[in-house]
Amino acid sequence: MPVRVLGISGSPHRHGNTETLLDAFLEGAANAGGSVEKIILKDLDYTPCRGCNVCHKEGECIVRDEAVPLLEQVLSVDCLAVASPIYSMGITAELKGLIDRSQYIWARKFILKSLYFTDKEIHRRKGIFISTAGLSWDNVFDAAFPAITAFFNTMGFEYYDNIIANDMDRYRGIRGHPTALTHARAKGEEVIRVIERMSRD
Amino acid sequence: MRIKVLAFAGSPRRHGNSEALLDWVLDAMQKEEDADIEKVILVDADVNPCRGCNACETLNRCVQRDGMDTLHDKIIDADLIILSAPIYCMGICSQAKALIDRFQVFRSRKYVLKLPIVPPERKGKRIGIFLSSAGQNWDHVFNGALPTVKCFFHVIDVRDKDIRYLMVNGVDEKGAILKHPSAQRDARLLAHEVITDIRARLAG
Repeated sequence: MPVRVLGISGSPHRHGNTETLLDAFLEGAANAGGSVEKIILKDLDYTPCRGCNVCHKEGECIVRDEAVPLLEQVLSVDCLAVASPIYSMGITAELKGLIDRSQYIWARKFILKSLYFTDKEIHRRKGIFISTAGLSWDNVFDAAFPAITAFFNTMGFEYYDNIIANDMDRYRGIRGHPTALTHARAKGEEVIRVIERMSRD
Repeated sequence: MRIKVLAFAGSPRRHGNSEALLDWVLDAMQKEEDADIEKVILVDADVNPCRGCNACETLNRCVQRDGMDTLHDKIIDADLIILSAPIYCMGICSQAKALIDRFQVFRSRKYVLKLPIVPPERKGKRIGIFLSSAGQNWDHVFNGALPTVKCFFHVIDVRDKDIRYLMVNGVDEKGAILKHPSAQRDARLLAHEVITDIRARLAG
């Protein structure tokens, strides 16, 4: 069975720097034999978490929209690539909206204890964060990492790597960056090989 | 001189922990008698996320027509801007993040178009307050939110040294903050300190 890869684009801006970087990663993964799918969050019909905490008792989200099927799909894949540009030093409201909706999965794991991932499962499932930022600051991604880390933890993925490129304003976009797209393609191929090797062992 | 206070309740949960912090601060400010307070419930304010179109870098305004149309002038006019929001998944809740990202129009005005945000006589006089609550009791639970909150204030001409914080961790279920040993007192003290500070700035 091919390695299943899901890319989630959290940018409101179609075919911008971040989505292009995600595309390069997915292209690399597909070239290496992965089964690849991409979701554009802005085209999905979902609302942010309401903070009602009903899921802490029920283990289900009471909001019925397209976030829940997507999160169930996330639970089923081997590799998850989450992409968002940096806005105001953090991920976009669209991606944060989806991540906040994973609270019911978190509740299953940590409150109801009805969901459990073995160490081996987590090690085999790889999460990758893909991002771009206009600013050149080295710390421009730092405030995004905690929410991404929380999402991968909740959904049972090892935080495998970041594919990030800052200083987009100077490079005049991702295509002007000397290494980012090549690096993303290579990372896509690499992660498929790593997951395949683990599946054989 | 009257003190204009604009407060955002950023939580999707009404009357929860972060809004309780805000209400304690606003109640205390109300007693100061020279504060004109407006509280905005963000989930009712019709503020859409930023579309990342960057049109504001040339237009000096947002192409979206929604609740930000009326909030824009209030944000500029206020002497004190308060943002309250809970931490969800190690970051600020997405509703508040949407508001913060819509401040891109101020960022474009300030850093791209190099135009003023507030009139020169009001520069350096504004204060910001960030109020937050988090379910986890880790010390680092607010770290992911803080750079974003600083952006929110910096682009509207509230300097780093003029941002005040009251952040309470270890409160998750609604009402948990009522049992916190110091949160209510801290909120009242903060309100008094900030109003006194602004009063002096506006008089000076």
